[in-house]
Amino acid sequence: MLLRCQMTLGRFALDLNVSFESRVASIFGPSGSGKTTLLDAIAGLREIQSGEIQIGDRSFFSSSRGINLSPQKRFVGYVPQEGALFPHLSVRKNILFGANRKTGSLNASEITLAHVAAVLEIGHLLDRSVVHLSGGESQRVALARAILSRPQLLLLDEPLASLDIGLKEKIIPYLRRVRDEFSIPMIYVTHDPTEVLSLADWVIVLSQGRLLAQGIPRDVLMSRQVLSHLEEDQVENVFNARLIDSDPKAGRSRVSLESGQEIFIPYVAEPVGRSLQILIRGDNIMVATKRPEEISASNIFRGVVSRVETGDGQALLKVDARDLFYVRLTSSAVEKLGLVEGKEVFLIIKTRSCRIL
Amino acid sequence: MFSEAWQITLFSLSVAAGSTLLILPFGIALSWLLARRDWPFKSILETLVLLPLVMPPVATGLILLKLFGRRSPLGRWLYELGVEVIFDWKGVLLAMAVMSFPLLVRSARISFSEVNPRLEQIAATLGASKLRVFFTLTLPLAAKGIVAGALLAFSRAVGEFGATILVAGNIPGRTQTLSLAIFNRVQLGKDEEAYALLGITVVLAFGAVWASEWLVKAKKNV
Amino acid sequence: MLNAEQMKSLRRLYLLAWICGSSLFFLSPAGAEEIVVAAAASLTDALKEIGEAYALRSRNKIIFNFGASSELARQIDEGAPVDLFFSADSEKMDILNQKGRIERASRKNLLSNRLVIVALKDSGLRIGSPKDLLRADIRRVALAEPSTVPAGIYVKKYLEGEGLWGPLKSKVIPVMDVRAALASVESGNVDAGFIYKTDAAISKKVKIVFEVPLDKGPQIVYPLAVVKESKNKKTAHNFFSHLLGDSARRIFEHYGFIVLNPSPGAGR
Repeated sequence: MLLRCQMTLGRFALDLNVSFESRVASIFGPSGSGKTTLLDAIAGLREIQSGEIQIGDRSFFSSSRGINLSPQKRFVGYVPQEGALFPHLSVRKNILFGANRKTGSLNASEITLAHVAAVLEIGHLLDRSVVHLSGGESQRVALARAILSRPQLLLLDEPLASLDIGLKEKIIPYLRRVRDEFSIPMIYVTHDPTEVLSLADWVIVLSQGRLLAQGIPRDVLMSRQVLSHLEEDQVENVFNARLIDSDPKAGRSRVSLESGQEIFIPYVAEPVGRSLQILIRGDNIMVATKRPEEISASNIFRGVVSRVETGDGQALLKVDARDLFYVRLTSSAVEKLGLVEGKEVFLIIKTRSCRIL
Repeated sequence: MFSEAWQITLFSLSVAAGSTLLILPFGIALSWLLARRDWPFKSILETLVLLPLVMPPVATGLILLKLFGRRSPLGRWLYELGVEVIFDWKGVLLAMAVMSFPLLVRSARISFSEVNPRLEQIAATLGASKLRVFFTLTLPLAAKGIVAGALLAFSRAVGEFGATILVAGNIPGRTQTLSLAIFNRVQLGKDEEAYALLGITVVLAFGAVWASEWLVKAKKNV
Repeated sequence: MLNAEQMKSLRRLYLLAWICGSSLFFLSPAGAEEIVVAAAASLTDALKEIGEAYALRSRNKIIFNFGASSELARQIDEGAPVDLFFSADSEKMDILNQKGRIERASRKNLLSNRLVIVALKDSGLRIGSPKDLLRADIRRVALAEPSTVPAGIYVKKYLEGEGLWGPLKSKVIPVMDVRAALASVESGNVDAGFIYKTDAAISKKVKIVFEVPLDKGPQIVYPLAVVKESKNKKTAHNFFSHLLGDSARRIFEHYGFIVLNPSPGAGR
C-alpha cells in the first residue's frame, strides 16, 4: 500500500512518502505531533491548502491536478478517538448506518452484521441504546460501524486512548481479530508503543509533523532517536509466544518464545498450543553478572549485552538472550556491574512481570 | 357569548398554528445556516432576525403596514393578484409570523450548534450525503430544541397584539384574535367577557410554555 | 468582576437612583396651574390652536388628551386625572353624569358637525348616494368603532335609517376613532371612509365624495363639562369660559364646526 501524503496545514508541513506492504500501519508520535490532523486529512474531513494524498492507486487529493474527493467518495472507515456513536440510534442502526454503499472493496460479501458482531462480541448489544454502553463496548460498536461500511481503508485514531489499561489490553485482541478476519488495511494512530508492538507490522513515527523514522515496530521503537521521544516507562518487550502447559495450583503457565526458549507467565486458562502475546516492561528486568541462586524469580536467561546506551543518568541495554530483550537500568547499576558490549549477563524476570496481551 | 369566545379562540389558534407551520422551514434553514456557516456581514442578518424580538411590536407592525399596504410596490402587486394583507386574516398571519420568528430561530440555532460536528463528519465518511446527514442525523438530534422553539413561537403568536392591531385591525369575525378581543371588550366595558377571554389566553399560554420547558428538560436527560 | 470597593459604590449609586426615581411618583408640579382636557379626536386641530392662543394670554398650562370619546369616558370613570371632558356625543356625557363624575351644572352643548364620506384625492370614486357603497368596486369602508365611538355610532344610526347597515356590514372596517378612519383612507388600504366634515377639511390627501344631508343625518352634538374630581376647578372653569368665548368660536368655525347657541343642556 502506498501512502503519499504531502500537505501544508496551518503550521504543519507534513511530508510523508511511505510505502508499506502491511495489514496494519501505525502512525506513532506524542500528542500534538499532527496525527489526528493527518487522519482527518486522509478522510477528507479537513481542508488542506496544498498537497497530495494518495492511497494505493487512488488519488484522494491533489492540488496540482485539482482533485478533491469528498469524504463520501473516499471509502475510508473512520474510528475516532471518542467513538462518535449516533446517540439517537440503537447499536444496530449505528452499525448499519453506512452498510448500504458500494465501495468496490474485495471482501464485501464476507462483511455481514452477524459476522462482525460475532468477531467483536457485541451481538448481545444490538438492540440497546448507545447511550449507556461502557467505554469498551462503544469502541467496539464504532469499529463495527466502520467495518460494515465496507471501506477500502480503516483509520483508527487512538481508539483505546480513553480506556484504562486493563480495558485496553482486553480490546487489543479484538483489533487483532479484525485485522486477521477482514483483511482491510488499517492505519492506526497511537502514542502507546504497546499498541504498536502488538498490532502493527509497520510503524511511521511522527514528530511535529515530520517523519522521524519508519520501519518494523520492534526495531524502530527501540532506536535511540525514537526512544528519546518516549516516556520512561514505555519501553516494552513484546513477544509472540505459544502456550505449552498451565498449572493452576502453581499459579503459572509456560509458553515458548520465538526462539523456542520457555518462559513462565501468570496462569492463563487457555488451551495448549494457543498463540499469545507477552509483554515485559524494560523496567521489570533485573540483570546479574552471576547466575543467582535461591531467588524467587522463575525466569533466568543467560545472554550477552549487544548494546549499551546511556544518557541523563539512565541506561538502555539491548541483550541477546536467544530472544532480544531491552532492559532499563540506572547508569550507576551499569557502572557497578561493569556492563559493556559483549559482557555475559543473566536476565532475571519474575513470572508476575510478564503480562499477557 | 360562549360561541363567540369559541370562535375567537379557534381563529387565534388556527392562525397561530398556520403562522408557526409557515415559519418552520425558513426558521430551520436559517438557524442551521447561522449555526454552521460563516459569511461576511453575517452579524447584520443575525441582528435583523432578532429585531422583532427587541423592537416594540407596534414598531414592527408599522414597518409591515408600510411594506404590505396597497400603496407600496409589494402591496400593489399582491393586490393585483387578489391578495389583501392589510385588514385581513393574512395580515394576522403575517404579524404573528414576523413576531414569533426570532424565538424559533434562537432556539433552533442553539440546538443545531449543540449537535457535535464530529458526528456529521463520521457520517460523511460512512457515505452519507450532506442531505442524508441533515435529515437522519442533524435534524433528529436538534429536534427537541426545534420543537421547543416552535412551541414558544406558537404561544408568542397567540398572544400577539401590537403588530396585529396595526396590520390587520381589530375586526370582529375577521381579524379579531384573543388579545384583540380582550382589548376590544375592555374598551366596550364588557368586563366579564374580557375576563373569560383572559382566562382562555392564560390557560393556552401556560400549556404551551409548560410543554416547551418539559421538552428542554427531557432533552438534557438524553 | 468588581472588587469590594467598587461593589459598595455601585450599591450606593443604585440606592440613590432608586430613591430619586421613586420620589418622582410623589412629586407634584409646582408653580403654574395645569389642567388636562380630554377631548374627542375630531377636535384635535381646533383645540390645539385654541390652546396655543390661550397660552399667550395665561400662565396656565393646558394638556390635551385626544381620543375616542368612549375610551376617554372610560378613563375618566376609572379615575384618570382629567379636568374637562369634551365629548363627541351626548351618550358618553350622560353615562358619566349618571355616575356622578361630572359637575352637572357646568354641562353645555357647544358644537355640532356633519358626516361625510371621503376617498383618496386621486380615486375615481363617484358616490351619489350611500346606496352606491354597495357597488362591487368598493370593498372596504372605514369608520370609527360603531358600537362605542360617537363617530361610528352616528354612521351606524344613519345607515340603519337608510336600511343599508345590514348589507354594508361585511365591508365595514372598524377602527379606533375617527382620525384612525381618516388615516385608513389616506393609507390607501380602504376604498372609502366615514368621517366628520371637519376632519376632511384638515386632510390634504382625501376629498369628500358625499356629504350626509343635515336633515337625513343624525343629530351630532359635542357637550363639554367640568369633571367633578378635578383638582384645579378654578383653572378648569377659566378655560371652559374661554372655550365659550368669541376667539374660540372663530377658531371652531374656521375648522368647519357648527357652533351651537349656548344652551344650558343641563338637567338631563
